[in-house]
This record gives sequence, C-alpha cells and structure tokens, in this order.
Amino acid sequence: MALFIYGTAINTGKNFFTAEDRRNFFLRSYPGNVWVVGNSEKGALWLAEKNGVEKTKAEAQAIVDAEVTSAQAVYDALPEDQKNRPGFNQRPTAITLP
Amino acid sequence: MTTYNELAGYRVNYLSADPTLNSGNEGQVWYNSTTGKLRSLVQIKAWAAGGNLGTARYSLAGAGTQTEGLAFGGLATVNQNATEEYNGSAWAGGGNLGTARRELGGAGTQTAGLAFGGYITTVQSATEEYDGSAWTAGGSLSTARRYLSGAGTQTVGLGFGGFTTVNVANTEEYDGSAWTAGGNMNTARRGMGSAGIQTAGLGSGGFTTVVSNATEEYDGSTWTSGGNLNTSRRFLGGAGTQTAGLAFGGETTVNTASTEEYDGNIWTTSTSMSTARRLLTGAGTRTSGLAIGGFVTAASSATEEFTSSINVTTAAAWASGGNMGTARELLGGAGTQTAGLGFGGFTTVATNATEEYDGSAWTGGGNLTTSRYGITGAGTQTSALGFGGGGPSVATEEYDGSTWAGGGNLGTGRYTPGGAGIQTAGLAIGGEASTGATTATEEYDGSAWTAGGTMATARRRLAGTGTQTVGLAFGGEASGAVTAVTEEYDGSAWTAGGNMNTARRYPGSAGTQTAGLAFGGGTTPVTGATEQYDGTSWSNTTSMTTARQALGGCGTQTSALAFGGSTGAVSSATEEFTGAFQTTTASNLTTS
Repeated sequence: MALFIYGTAINTGKNFFTAEDRRNFFLRSYPGNVWVVGNSEKGALWLAEKNGVEKTKAEAQAIVDAEVTSAQAVYDALPEDQKNRPGFNQRPTAITLP
Repeated sequence: MTTYNELAGYRVNYLSADPTLNSGNEGQVWYNSTTGKLRSLVQIKAWAAGGNLGTARYSLAGAGTQTEGLAFGGLATVNQNATEEYNGSAWAGGGNLGTARRELGGAGTQTAGLAFGGYITTVQSATEEYDGSAWTAGGSLSTARRYLSGAGTQTVGLGFGGFTTVNVANTEEYDGSAWTAGGNMNTARRGMGSAGIQTAGLGSGGFTTVVSNATEEYDGSTWTSGGNLNTSRRFLGGAGTQTAGLAFGGETTVNTASTEEYDGNIWTTSTSMSTARRLLTGAGTRTSGLAIGGFVTAASSATEEFTSSINVTTAAAWASGGNMGTARELLGGAGTQTAGLGFGGFTTVATNATEEYDGSAWTGGGNLTTSRYGITGAGTQTSALGFGGGGPSVATEEYDGSTWAGGGNLGTGRYTPGGAGIQTAGLAIGGEASTGATTATEEYDGSAWTAGGTMATARRRLAGTGTQTVGLAFGGEASGAVTAVTEEYDGSAWTAGGNMNTARRYPGSAGTQTAGLAFGGGTTPVTGATEQYDGTSWSNTTSMTTARQALGGCGTQTSALAFGGSTGAVSSATEEFTGAFQTTTASNLTTS
C-alpha cells in the first residue's frame, strides 16, 4: 500500500486542519495547493472533506514543479540589483514530494 | 475478608464526582456515585521510539538513565569499541573503549561508566572506567568471562554469572579499583537481565542448558530466589532496581518483545516493545527505561523508551489558523498566538501593511510609516516594536494597537536582525548591515538604541527570542552558509548555547531563552522542521504542515504562531503550535 495520498485543496484557514488531524495522520502542504496526506482512513476522509482533488504522485509533483518554475522565473526576472540586494530571499529551489 | 484499606492504606471514598486529579490520587480508589463506577488512577505504560544508535550492534552493554544513557562495545560485523551517549532523544559519539569487545558487562552512569569482561577471540577480564569522555583501565575481574551481567556504579559495582567455557555462578564486587569475590549465585547461567546495586542486585532469566525464568536477588553477600519471570528467556535487557525492576526483550526460542515489571516479589507482564530482539542492553528505571540495540535479523540500532505514568502525554501539533489577508515573506511579528501582529514584508514589492490576529482571523491594522521587508518585530499586539529592514534601514517604529509612530533609530541599519524583548526594552541582534553580516547587538529603552554585547558569530537571516536581558539568537547564515549556532544573552554578553539540530536561515521564533521554539526556515529547500530549546539543547518536535522560510512568528514554546513566509512563493498560511502536554485521567475499574 502506498504511504501517501496526493491531492490539491485550498487552505481555507482556521480549522482547515486541526491539531488532532496532525496527530492522526501525516500531512504536509506544498506550492500549488498540493497536499501530501498519510494513506489512512482518516487521511483520505480529511482530503475528501476539504473538497480535495486526488492526484497521482506524478501529477502532484508536476504541479509543484510548475509552481517552483514560475517562482524561479519571477525571481530571475528581477533586476540584478534587487536579486543581489542584501536581505532579499533566495531563488526558489526544486522540491521533491515524499 | 481483607479490606482495601488494609491492603493499600486508603479507604474507598464515596464521591459524587471524580476528585481533582493529580499524583496525590495515585493508588486511591473511589466510587463515583453519579456514574456508578469504581474509579482509580492507573499507570499507563508504553514503549516509544527513541533515536537510533549511530552504530547498529548487539551483545553490547549499557548504563545510565533514559535521558542520560550510555551504550558501549558489542558486535556489528566485528567487535566494537564505540561508545555512544543518549540525551533522551539522540545518540552522540563518546570516547572509544580501549579494547573493542562484545558480550561484556556494564554498570554506572553516562559520566561514570564501567565496562568489564566480555569476548574478543577469548574471554576477557579487563575493566575500563568512563568519565564522560574517555575510558581508562581499571582492575581486572578474577574470572574472565563473557555474557556476564552488571549492576551498581563505577565505584560500587557488581558483576555476576556469565560463561567461561561453562556457565558460571561467580559474583565479583568492584570498589573503584579492584574486584573481590562475592557470594555465588544459586544457579550458574549466562545472558541474564540485570538491575540494582551492589548490595541489592537482581538477575533474571538467562541460559543454563535451557532458557530460564529464574530470578535471584543479591543482598551484598548472598543470592536468594525471587519470583519467576512469566516468560523464560535469555539475552534480555534489564533496568531498574531489585524492588522495581524491568525485564524486556530477549530470546525464548525466537526473539521476543515481551516486557515484565518486578516489584521485589512478582513479575507482571507489561506492554511489549515494538521490536522483538535479543542480545540488547538496557538502562534507566522501571518507570523510565531504555532498550538499546540488539539483534533482530541483523544488528539493530533501534532504541525504545519505556514510560509508566499516571499521565497521558498528548503530542505537540501544528493546526491551521486563519489565513493572512496579504501573503508575504520577510515580515515582522510580535505578540501571542491569540493576539498576534504581522507587519511589513515583501509581496511582489515591499509592503507597509499590518495585520492583527485574534486567535482565528487576521484583520487590518495601522500601516507602517515606511514600507519595508526584512523588518524585525518585538513586543505585543498593542505595544510592538518594528526595526531594521529595507535599506538597510535604521528606522524604528512603535505600534500602539492602531498606529505606528517613529522611534529612535538603530545605530547600525540592518536587514533581518534577530529580535527580542518588548517595546520599551527591545533587542536587535546581528543581521545584515551594508558591510555584511554583523555581530552587533543594540538595546532599545523605548526611545533610543545603545550598543550591547557583540555575538561571537557574525550572521544574517537569524532569529531571536526572549528578553533584552535574557535573550536567545539562533540559526541564520554565517560566512555564507546556513548555521545551527545558538548564542545566549545576559544583558551584556553573549555565550554559546547548544546547536540546533537543523541549520537554517530565516527561521521563525517564539518563546524565551530557556523555553525557545524555532520553526521553519531555509535549508535546501525550505523546511517545516520545529525544534524546542530548553536553555541547554535543542530537541526536535513535530514539523509545520507548510514548510517555509522568512516567516513571521510569535508566542511561546507551547503556544506559538507561524504566519506568512515563502514556500517558493509568498504565503498567507497561518499555523498554531500547541506543545505536548500531559493529562491525568482516571479509569473505571472492572472485574474482568
């Protein structure tokens, strides 16, 4: 059995996931509203209750990759003086889903 | 008929409701007339995974406690000389044994350990003493042997049983320099579980010509029979004392995970370990034990922690909070989990927007006078301080719950300094000045900044927490690389603290110098890792759900708030942290 369920869902804020949810199953979010959820009854129920759209791992990874690529493009388009400005953030790096 | 009062020294109270529960209720039984149930506090027992040994091995020895454990020697593919020290969550390397060996005896503590006997290619008599960093030679056993058992301390030690070319019953007593003969065990055997001290020792199980369930108790001169184990076994682990012992794991005809507790008379079956194994070692007490290494189908690095308590621990967790109105990174934060403040930062440009959190939702507050990112915050929602950021800026602003007003300028303009304290007693720590990462600290008195002590490590993109006189700085970038370095401030000087487990830039922060919290930050890529500081060392706790860096943070170690930041793109996500907590819960008593 796969360890995780992959999906997209919009974080609506307070109580979108609870402390109890976090104690009950693995849960992580990634760019592009991608969620990686522990493959359990409670995890699957959570994704369904949040109107999540289940994805394959490859589909979820593609969404994350597209988001990171987009963020990198935004960063790359910055004037050099802004990129090199002290205190500014780094160029986003690739993220590999678990 | 014997009454409960005669057995336990307490009468069964007739109550309309459960009493306020605390450790004083332990052992008491009461009748709840409302629910019609007989009630009591019962010990809840559990094994939990601990940190893995650096070197997987079996036939090793152990000593110490669950939070200050010691493992040494043993066998992987070859005899081991490695020593490892446990801090309650992770093992770290200690000084190597002078003689690599397996099937040895162990006793003592993490800073005063004792290793003796064992096997290389022949049985050994050598003793070594550990001082917390190095082993030195001690007096040799009279009878060289392997698979022997140990108890006691480095200066009042006990070695018993084992195998030469046959099982032996010999007991030897150590005084810190020499071994002398003690009383022989009644049954010669090897591979026992052991516990106790030189004058109150305990040996259980082991192997004669068959696996044994026999227990013997030592009084400093003579061994007498104790209660039998429920499960006969050999090569088990042991912990505790003669009257409060713990036996776990070992081999029946197969590896076992079974655990038993001893009260000085009777062994009672307890909750089993997660991993069945033999040739492991143990440390700690009956209520706070440690199972270390052993052999599963190969050498194991697994550590398990046994806890017996009337309290149930609820794990720490992050939960979602209301999203910020404006997604942003590199923002300032202040306040508490239920009265938080986020201000400034970077969206696609620098922003001056301020938002206030009430424990469930963010609403707009007064705008900063100067839009900027890399700003740092301190104080509360209604009395906050924002300083530094874009420029690098020297500008300081003070918030009164609705409006930002100018404060005294920093002496050194800087991006993303660490921040601590309150509006009238603030602290700006390090950061990125126009000349690069700085060690400079400045102290704010409500109107002006003055120079404080300098950090040992110049760095930028760090975090701070605590107060102006009891501050904490951690993480960031030093010499171009992410750092795990922590420093503690006493109001005038910085001193070294324990390193974080995960080096990172732009972490979020909350809490105090002795109860700090670090969450998120940049590694490669961003992380959600959360760590707790106790004034000495950092330990890992549950990660944020959304990994990110350059986020805002506020609150305490047990009630923190994380908001905004960058996951790759700017984020509006808020998470609320609740630290682990314990509850005392009564159980119904039944006849089954």
